[in-house]
Amino acid sequence: MCDRHNKDGDCFEYVESGMPRVPMSCKINGEIVHKMVDPTMTLLQFLHKDMSLFGTKEGCGEGECGACTIKMNGRAVNSCLVLAAEAQGSEIITVEGLSKNGELSVLQKEFIKHDALQCGFCTPGMLMSARALLDKNNDPDLEEVKEAIAGNFCRCTGYFPIIDAILATAKKEREGSDHE
Amino acid sequence: MLSKFNYLKPKSLDEALAYIKENPGTKLLAGGTDLMIVLRRNMEIVDHVLDIKDIPETKRFEYKAGEGLFIGASVTVNEISECDVVAEKYAAVKEAADSLASYQLRNRATLVGNLCNASPGADLASPLLVFDAVVHIAGPNGIREVALENFFTGVKRTVLVPGEIVIGVMLPDVKGDTSVFLKQARIKGHDLGIAGVSIRRTGEGKLCVGMTAVAPTPIRLRNLEESLQSKPFSAETAEWLNEEIKNHIKPISDIRSSAEYRLHVSGVLAQKGLMQLIAMGGK
Repeated sequence: MCDRHNKDGDCFEYVESGMPRVPMSCKINGEIVHKMVDPTMTLLQFLHKDMSLFGTKEGCGEGECGACTIKMNGRAVNSCLVLAAEAQGSEIITVEGLSKNGELSVLQKEFIKHDALQCGFCTPGMLMSARALLDKNNDPDLEEVKEAIAGNFCRCTGYFPIIDAILATAKKEREGSDHE
Repeated sequence: MLSKFNYLKPKSLDEALAYIKENPGTKLLAGGTDLMIVLRRNMEIVDHVLDIKDIPETKRFEYKAGEGLFIGASVTVNEISECDVVAEKYAAVKEAADSLASYQLRNRATLVGNLCNASPGADLASPLLVFDAVVHIAGPNGIREVALENFFTGVKRTVLVPGEIVIGVMLPDVKGDTSVFLKQARIKGHDLGIAGVSIRRTGEGKLCVGMTAVAPTPIRLRNLEESLQSKPFSAETAEWLNEEIKNHIKPISDIRSSAEYRLHVSGVLAQKGLMQLIAMGGK
C-alpha cells in the first residue's frame, strides 16, 4: 500500500479509466493531432502513451520537480498537472521539438558545452523552462534565469552550469539574430 | 488515479450551473494545481470534473476607473503579475503573486483557485483582504457578492454551497495607495509560507493589515488596525507593531513551523512591512 497515493500498485502507471473518451485536437511540435482521449489521463501520460514522445519526464507527478515541463501556448507548464483533454486547441512544444532536421538547437548545444547535465533526468524540463524564458526575454539577467528555472529540480549539477548555459544561449541567439 | 470522471468544458455560465446542479459533487477545474494533486493522491474520488476556463465571465480581467479591477476565475497568477494596473495600484497583490510556488505553476494556478482552496496559508488572500476584495459567486438564483473577509469559514472551508461557482473577485478602485506583502517560507518556490502579511496604506493614510497561516483562515486584523489609527506613521510604531501583532493572531505548530516561531516571525514581518511603507513615503 502506498500511503502517499492511497492505493496499491505502481502509482506512476497510467490505468485506463474506461470512461467515454473525449475528442482532443492540438498542435504538438508543429504537427496537428486529432485524438480521442481518456478524460482522466494527464497531458504527460498522453505524450507518452499516445504520442510516444518519451522525452518529457515524470518526476514527482505533483508539480514540484518540473521534469515534465513543456511549453503550452507559449508558456512553461507542468504537464503532469494538466489533463490531456484540457490541451484542446492548444499549441504544445516538447523537448523533441527543439532540434531541427536532426540538428540540436543552440540551447541544447550550450547545455552540452557547459556540462549542464549529468544524469539528464531534469534536462528536458530544464530546457523547456529555459526556452519559454528566452522566447519572452532574449536578454535575461541572472535573477530572471534563476526565477525561470526555480520550479525545476536538478540533483546533479548544482545549477550553475545550467544558468551559464542559458545565459550563453541568450547571448548567442541575440548575436545570431543581429547577423540576419 | 482511482477517480473515473467525466470531463466537461461548458461555454456558458448557465450550462455550467445546470451541470453542477444535475451532478452533485462535481469538482470545478481552473488551473488544476490543487485539484490534480487531490486526484492523483486519491484523497477524493471524483465522478465529474467541470472545466470553467471557457466560461466568458471567468475570463474577464479588466480595470475600470472608479469601479476597480475584476479578476476572473480563469485568470492565472502570472497574468496578474504581468498586469501593469496591478503593479501600479495593488502592489501587494503582485508581490504575493510573484511569491507563489514556482514560475511554471503560476502559469496554470489561478488567483480565485487559491482563494477557493481556502488554505489558511493562501498567499494571495492577505493582499486581497487588505484591498477589501469582493467575491462574485454565481448560483441558481443569480450572482451574489460576498466580502472576502466573510468568505472563509474554516480550514479549507468557505461560504460556498453546492451548485455555486465563483466567477471572480472585484478589487475596489484605489487612489494614492501603497502596499507591501511579505512572507516567510522555508524554501523559496517549493513550500507554503510559515506566515504571510500584507499591509496597505490608503491614500488617506489608514493602515490595513491582513495575515495568512496564523489562524484557521486568512484574516484581516481589524482591532489592530483601529489601534494603529491613533499612532504616528513612524519607526516607533513599527516597533510597537512587532510586539502588538502577536496579541491578534493564534498560530499553531505544524510541520512547517512552531507556533512560537510563527508569532516571532509575524512580528518581524509586520515591522519590516511598515518600515518599507514608511520608506516609500506617504504618497
